[in-house]
Amino acid sequence: MTQSTMRLTVNGKAYDVGAAPDTALLYVLRNDLELNGPKYGCGLGECGACAVLIDGVAARSCVIPIEGCVGRDIVTLEGLGTREHPDPVQQAFIDEQAAQCGYCLNGMIIATKALLLRSPHPSEDEVLEALRHHLCRCGAHVEIMRAAMRAAGHVVEAQA
Amino acid sequence: MAKSDTPERSQGTLTVVRAASPVEAVKFETFIRITSDGSVTAYNGHVDLGTGIRTALGQIVAEELDVSFARVVVVLGDTALVPNQGATIASETIQITAVPLRKAAAQARQFLVARAAARLELAIEDLAIEDGLIRGKDNRSVSYGELIAGESIRLELADDVPVKDVGSYSIVGQSVPRVDLPAKATGELVYVHDVRIPGMLHGRVVRPPYAGVDVGDFIGSSLIAVDESSVSDIPGLVAVVHIGDFVGVVAEREENAIKAAAQLKLSWKPMPTLPDLKDIETALRANPSTPRKLIDRGDVEAAIAGAAKPMPRTYVWPYQMHASIGPSCAVADYQEDVTRVWSGTQNPHHLRTDLARLIHRREAEIEVIRLEAAGCYGRNCADDVSADAVLLSRAVGRPVRVQLTREQEHAWEPKGAAQLMDVNGGLNADGSVAGYDFATRYPSNGAPTLALLLTGAVPHTPAVFEMGDRTAIPPYDYENLRVVANDMPPIVRAAWLRGVSALPNTFAHESWIDECAAEACVDPIEYRLRYLKDPRAVDLVNAVAERAGWKPRPVREDKQAEGDIVRGRGFAYALYVHSKFPGYGAAWSAWIADVAVNKATGDVSVTRVVAGQDSGLMINPDGVRHQIHGNVIQSTSRALMEEVSFDRTSVTAREWGAYPIIKFPELPEIDVLMLPRQDQPPLGVGESASVPSAAAIANAIYDATGVRFRELPFTPERILRGLRGEAQTTPEALPAPPQPATARAWQNPFTGRGMFATAAALCAAAIGIGAAVLPWRVIAPIARPDASVYSAATIARGQQLAALGDCAVCHTSANGILNAGGKPLPTPFGTIYSTNITPDVETGIGAWSYPAFERAMREGIHRDGRHLYPAFPYTHFARTTDADMQALYAYLMAQPAVRAETPTNTLAFPFNVRPLMAGWNALFHTPAVFQPDQAKSEIWNRGAYLVEGLGHCSACHSPRNALGAETTGAHLAGGFAEGWEAPALTSLSQAPIPWSEDELYAYLRTGESRFHGVAAGPMAPVVAELAALPDSDIRAMAVYLASFNAAPMDRVTQEALAARLEASTLTRASAASSVGARIYQGACAVCHEVGGAPLFGSRPSLALNSNLHSAAPDNLIQVILRGIAKPAVTDLGYMPAFRDSLTDGQVAELVVYLRQQFAPDRPGWKDIHAAINRIRREHAR
Repeated sequence: MTQSTMRLTVNGKAYDVGAAPDTALLYVLRNDLELNGPKYGCGLGECGACAVLIDGVAARSCVIPIEGCVGRDIVTLEGLGTREHPDPVQQAFIDEQAAQCGYCLNGMIIATKALLLRSPHPSEDEVLEALRHHLCRCGAHVEIMRAAMRAAGHVVEAQA
Repeated sequence: MAKSDTPERSQGTLTVVRAASPVEAVKFETFIRITSDGSVTAYNGHVDLGTGIRTALGQIVAEELDVSFARVVVVLGDTALVPNQGATIASETIQITAVPLRKAAAQARQFLVARAAARLELAIEDLAIEDGLIRGKDNRSVSYGELIAGESIRLELADDVPVKDVGSYSIVGQSVPRVDLPAKATGELVYVHDVRIPGMLHGRVVRPPYAGVDVGDFIGSSLIAVDESSVSDIPGLVAVVHIGDFVGVVAEREENAIKAAAQLKLSWKPMPTLPDLKDIETALRANPSTPRKLIDRGDVEAAIAGAAKPMPRTYVWPYQMHASIGPSCAVADYQEDVTRVWSGTQNPHHLRTDLARLIHRREAEIEVIRLEAAGCYGRNCADDVSADAVLLSRAVGRPVRVQLTREQEHAWEPKGAAQLMDVNGGLNADGSVAGYDFATRYPSNGAPTLALLLTGAVPHTPAVFEMGDRTAIPPYDYENLRVVANDMPPIVRAAWLRGVSALPNTFAHESWIDECAAEACVDPIEYRLRYLKDPRAVDLVNAVAERAGWKPRPVREDKQAEGDIVRGRGFAYALYVHSKFPGYGAAWSAWIADVAVNKATGDVSVTRVVAGQDSGLMINPDGVRHQIHGNVIQSTSRALMEEVSFDRTSVTAREWGAYPIIKFPELPEIDVLMLPRQDQPPLGVGESASVPSAAAIANAIYDATGVRFRELPFTPERILRGLRGEAQTTPEALPAPPQPATARAWQNPFTGRGMFATAAALCAAAIGIGAAVLPWRVIAPIARPDASVYSAATIARGQQLAALGDCAVCHTSANGILNAGGKPLPTPFGTIYSTNITPDVETGIGAWSYPAFERAMREGIHRDGRHLYPAFPYTHFARTTDADMQALYAYLMAQPAVRAETPTNTLAFPFNVRPLMAGWNALFHTPAVFQPDQAKSEIWNRGAYLVEGLGHCSACHSPRNALGAETTGAHLAGGFAEGWEAPALTSLSQAPIPWSEDELYAYLRTGESRFHGVAAGPMAPVVAELAALPDSDIRAMAVYLASFNAAPMDRVTQEALAARLEASTLTRASAASSVGARIYQGACAVCHEVGGAPLFGSRPSLALNSNLHSAAPDNLIQVILRGIAKPAVTDLGYMPAFRDSLTDGQVAELVVYLRQQFAPDRPGWKDIHAAINRIRREHAR
């Protein structure tokens, strides 16, 4: 098997990656670039834990080989912001305490970000639709919805 | 007071400790450590499973120590650092495990205050503390740090430490943001999955085929052989490890470990047959059990015998999953002195004991470092993977990270046990309960760590856990009451899952009392209150009824339907009593659930839940609220849709389609009512709110429909059966496992058909004709031609033609060098290997003169005179003009020469007799250059030339006869190639929207047509190659191909038809009322549902896809099994292969559903199982 080098642009930086072209992007992000944001959840694109932005669109990095990512702009959770300078979506999730274990959080934030990139003022239904195929097992959905709505500029009422 | 090491002494510390167990490397375990810089570290033996206890414990310590919350660091779950306080189970961290920590903090404060009083020479009453600074009434102050500077003070934890009065709390009882979320929201290193240590390798395990079964004498002794040569080609493979039935692979890179695990050939003994777990009731009744009486009050026998209305009922709970979102992961570093394991375990100390046993080490030589993992809600595979990592690290002498796959986590996680609850009971004539005789069956042993079983380190004998007794005694004061737990060994691997047996037991208790209330014509809440004596329970029930606006309903009334929807409301209550019997209560919980039931589809949606809870003192009220939300959502999911599926050997649900969990659009509205009880001790809140769930929902469904459901989950199928009055719990029995079929790579169409002789004779006869006509001779080899004689333009033109002819598609092996051949081409007659067409003189075509090349292209004869097989489509290439042929030759000769021998073909007789091909040619081949049809347009003729010549479309898109020649009179009428259907390109096309010129153009140019789908299978590389051709040629091909179709629709009509087809097949409108529908929703809809949120890649609309409308299911099955790993262009995106995630049965269910849903006017496919079986065997690998 040929082990070629592929150039990937992740979070604004170019990386030459020595992995087989059919290697899923997720493993390169996690192992070669040491990014923790995208998570392995199912390897089938079903759960959304591995979500990243590719050219500004949400993508499931567990089912996309790196050969499909050459020349594209990849952004991970880390590329959105940091603890000191979080992206408004990250800040909304922190403000709403929108996680329990937090393993799905990456996908929830990326999906919300992707939604806002294409639709800056989404309705509640659009938010639900954007998150529909992101699974959360802890049942943090209420807080996640509040966070996504807050990020989308909706006024979120305080809870009783 | 012992002294510790020097740096600390100079710095100064105060610790609160207790003596450690003799197995520890240290003498003391520490609860609190304060250093002279003022920092506070708190140690607790429990771990944060995602519930936020790290934050709550920090609050407790800050409160008792009188320091700010920000000053406290909480350390959890590192066996070298934290006290051994047992497993993090039963929601008892705050209720039980935090108690010594709180006392330790209080003890430290009292010590420091006393010391300050002495130092400041003031009475304790004259001191006040603010964030670790003790200030006297004279305003002099001293800090905690100053009080301990230069000393190492160790206090032994005392039992009788007074703690603060609740009234003086300022930190506990306030909502504090979780300390872990900023890091989680920004991708900092948080989880065990993120651990990277120098020199770390990647491991994967390969589990036995008895997936999810862990009792029986075959456990650990079923592996027959490991074929290590099957993975010898994996780059960077470090080791294949096997011990008993434990198998693992280790590689330098993770993706290569994945490939090795998938590719490794193992032989296993036949698997034993499981009981039929589609029928839980029968299986549990048949499982041997030992009755254990928990309570026997009054005279149950007599009371029930004398009851006016007997009320015997049976309630059934299915196997369910923890279903952690992140499959378990661990890193181990095996060393001679200390072995370190980074783990997501919920019981670090217990795991350490297991690991010591596994590798024969003392516990003190193992350190388990617990990092966060995906929420587990009980025992998942976290311990298993930790042990796996230790075995692999020991084998290779380097640190190894092991990540379980989704399929492994689903299949092997210890399931939440199924449970069977029998109630024998009855009512007196006045409607009161005469007696309640309750028996429960719970088959679980807590699931020993898998590696111990697989390697034979612990016996495989089925143990029995006494865990079916949680909340087995109902909360109601029935005069005559008997409760028996029938303890039994597991049937499949099972352990505790949130609510353990309390949730099923409460489902029975709370359904039964609801049934009684209905029989007695008493409001169900009022009826309960007659038997509920616990004042806090009564308060909670009343508060929840008021909050929800409960209207008393002594008699159920038929509901006014809104269309097909009927609505109902149900109540249930529970005090979650857990831990070893008799156990103790966690928080009190009560639900009022509102449901909407669709009587036509059986779909139940829980629209609103009022969840009330009395948790005692709430350390972090927001944290409690979030736990209640989580419990409501998760347990609603469990009640509505969750059930593990099995076949007769193993768990079959291995991804989220086969085991769906609730999604955002299905969420109920949740109204949380938290009773203010800050003056009462804090209680566990991690599970309590789950416990009333199923009963409240069942009771609401009864209210809506008048039908009582006593078995979970409330899937549309079960509800419909119930509404129709059909038996609820008699599912179709699962067949016993089939004998494995003998594998055949392909089927010779002539064997056994009596056609063998005919074929040979036919060809032999034809040879006679051919021999007379064709001079087969060797064309002398030449020196490799000098390509520089050709112009760059000619070579470029040749390159386009090579692309049109798909030369590289067949003449390049997977990941091989361009045109160097060696790709296996399966045909009905055997496997043919493509040849090397680079200009290498010895192994390629470098010695071929143009006449030799041209003869091969036009007549199918090798330079040396051998006949070529018509898998090489010379019958089409023959139509190429001489100028194009020369350009193609020029291009090929201008390429780099690559030395590569072609493997030998494996063809069956008579097809391995090359001279017979002469006869074949005489019968089926006319070598003539394309002649334009003057009656047609120029563009049509150009298209015809491209399509019928080098493009050789009909080689795949036409049917072939028994001898492999294109059937006459069926040109482009559809055929099969490489196991895929090449659909008809004529009016015989099954596409719901007829192909138009524009759509043909779009498809050939971009790999996708809005009205038909994307190129997949063998068509994807064809479109990829066509990228070399100019738009005008693609247009010409589209014009020509479109001419085979009837009069095209215009774009507007196409759009309208597409919109109609898509609207009529939207799945949102319908309940997922079959296994296939649920697999679609879980696995396919994310990328295929019309109108879904955009994802990278295309969104092929299944309603319009030809493959769903075809007469054969082959392409649909192929794409499900194999996915699309190499799309025509990367913009189209990728589709994962589901072959290792779905069983044949599940693929069949999915295929049946997709056909019904997206091609409703087409008849169902026949023999789907056979087709799946055949395609899996022949082509999917």
